[in-house]
Amino acid sequence: MISHQKKGSGREQRNLPKIAWVVLAAASSVMLAQPVMAADYTITGSSNTYLRMTRSINKDDIYPLYEYLRFSVSAAEKDGSATSLHLGAWGRLDLVDKSTDHHTDGDIQYGYLSYQGAKNNLVVNAGRQFITEGVATERVDGLYARSDFAAGITAAAFVGTPVVTTPNYKGGDFIYGGRVAQGKPGLYSIGVSALRNESDNARDREEEGIDLWVHPVKQVDLTGRSSYNSITDGWMEHAYTLSVAPIDAVTVSADFSRINYQDYFYNVTTTAFALSNNGGLLDPREQVTAAGVSAAWTPVKNLTVAAEYKNYGYEILGSADYVGGKLAYTTADALSLGASGHRMDGSSDRTRYYDYRLYALKKTGHTEFGVDFYNVIFDRPIDGVKSSYALTGIAGYEFTEKLNVGGEIEYSQSPDFNREWRALVKVAYAFDMKCGEKGGKSEK
Amino acid sequence: MKSKVLIMLMVPLMALLLVACANTKSGARIHPEAVTGTPNCNECHTDAYAAMNHQAVDFFKKHSVFASNARMACASCHAESFCSDCHAHKEELKPSVKYTQQVERTLPHRGDYMSQHRIDGKINPASCAKCHARTNNERCLTCHK
Repeated sequence: MISHQKKGSGREQRNLPKIAWVVLAAASSVMLAQPVMAADYTITGSSNTYLRMTRSINKDDIYPLYEYLRFSVSAAEKDGSATSLHLGAWGRLDLVDKSTDHHTDGDIQYGYLSYQGAKNNLVVNAGRQFITEGVATERVDGLYARSDFAAGITAAAFVGTPVVTTPNYKGGDFIYGGRVAQGKPGLYSIGVSALRNESDNARDREEEGIDLWVHPVKQVDLTGRSSYNSITDGWMEHAYTLSVAPIDAVTVSADFSRINYQDYFYNVTTTAFALSNNGGLLDPREQVTAAGVSAAWTPVKNLTVAAEYKNYGYEILGSADYVGGKLAYTTADALSLGASGHRMDGSSDRTRYYDYRLYALKKTGHTEFGVDFYNVIFDRPIDGVKSSYALTGIAGYEFTEKLNVGGEIEYSQSPDFNREWRALVKVAYAFDMKCGEKGGKSEK
Repeated sequence: MKSKVLIMLMVPLMALLLVACANTKSGARIHPEAVTGTPNCNECHTDAYAAMNHQAVDFFKKHSVFASNARMACASCHAESFCSDCHAHKEELKPSVKYTQQVERTLPHRGDYMSQHRIDGKINPASCAKCHARTNNERCLTCHK
């Protein structure tokens, strides 16, 4: 639980330069060797600069300037294998309000060296990376490897340090885990996975899970996952979705999930999700079962009409129903139109409301314009506000294929911000360079 | 002790043998056709990739399963930065702020999210916790001391 955590932000800040150096050193040695071997180079990158003009809840003007830099270089062999380096980072500078000493910040989002084999879907990654393997959806400073084996078996393993940046807590010293799956391409896949997260004096996390994907015929698709907490000895979550498309134009989807709070919210790193027996707000006895159905119809290409219903059943709080529909028309590059409306009918004032959304975006030549309106109407006013809404105007201009400049202005009213204006200016620049016959993925 | 050494020798050998016997071809490193907008994978694929139709009404719910099962298929179109747009561990800008103009995408936290997050948090806190329970929760701590 939260009390298990120890202060660790300082240690992580000390580790970051070390990680960056290790990744860069490994990358440069591999990349320098590539000119002799490689047949196909791809270098891509992007810079996204955002200037926000907004106001804090304390009515202080805030003008944060953000810069996001992404860089990727890949050297591919003729046999299909490839070695690549991926780096992504951001930084923020507060231009106006400097009332605190926290007016700059930044982070390495990812930075890893990757080898992809020509056969067996072999992948080996080293560095800061995002891992998705069964129960693991983690950002880790460490190593990751996966490969296909005989008899339709695939296996993956990872080990490293969990990347948790909460100021006062860390998420354990050491994380490791893996997943083994067996399947037949196009027909089914069933996997078992586990992760352990350890620190010096506590069992932080121990989770196991099964996941499956079944696609017996083209029209039917079942995906799902169950995860188990072996510290609390209970199932954390079951989540399954069944999709059926009886004809090409119609898809019906049913989903089911069950979450046990005691097991799911064990050992989080923020009080926002802490259980009440650990100083938080969530009742550990609570369990929620959500079951829903949705249907989508595509009468003509690019137009989707959908209806959806979901019931939330709580052991303690009662139940809530969410029902509504949406309409979307989208062409690849020129036009997006959409509308949606839903009713939430729950047991408290905050969970009894209507929500609506309308949006339109049109591109003409190098210019695009759009509006986006989102509205929530509560049955009973919250802090004196019955209708919470945000209206956003969007504009953009494409100077070249690589350089885009855009902006938006938002007017909103809500229980927290009465008649608020916000604005944002965005400059996006992307570049890529290719040597050889094949291209690459843009970082745009 | 002898059995431990034997196991340590046999496991890698067995793994190498199984890898050698697998002999599958790796998925495409780069998608052969440029894809724009929200693709309907059914238009070209009749195999397992057809299930990854991004226009399906439930694709957003299922994308995490595909990320586990077929991460390389995702990577043939999406760079790592695409995942980081939403799944970052210390992110200050919401995806809906970074990509306001992508109105058709299912991006979380649209509109006034300060008041809306209390509603979502009450209805299904697990949906918030997937991203914010262990990472990317610095903003939570400004109020949830």
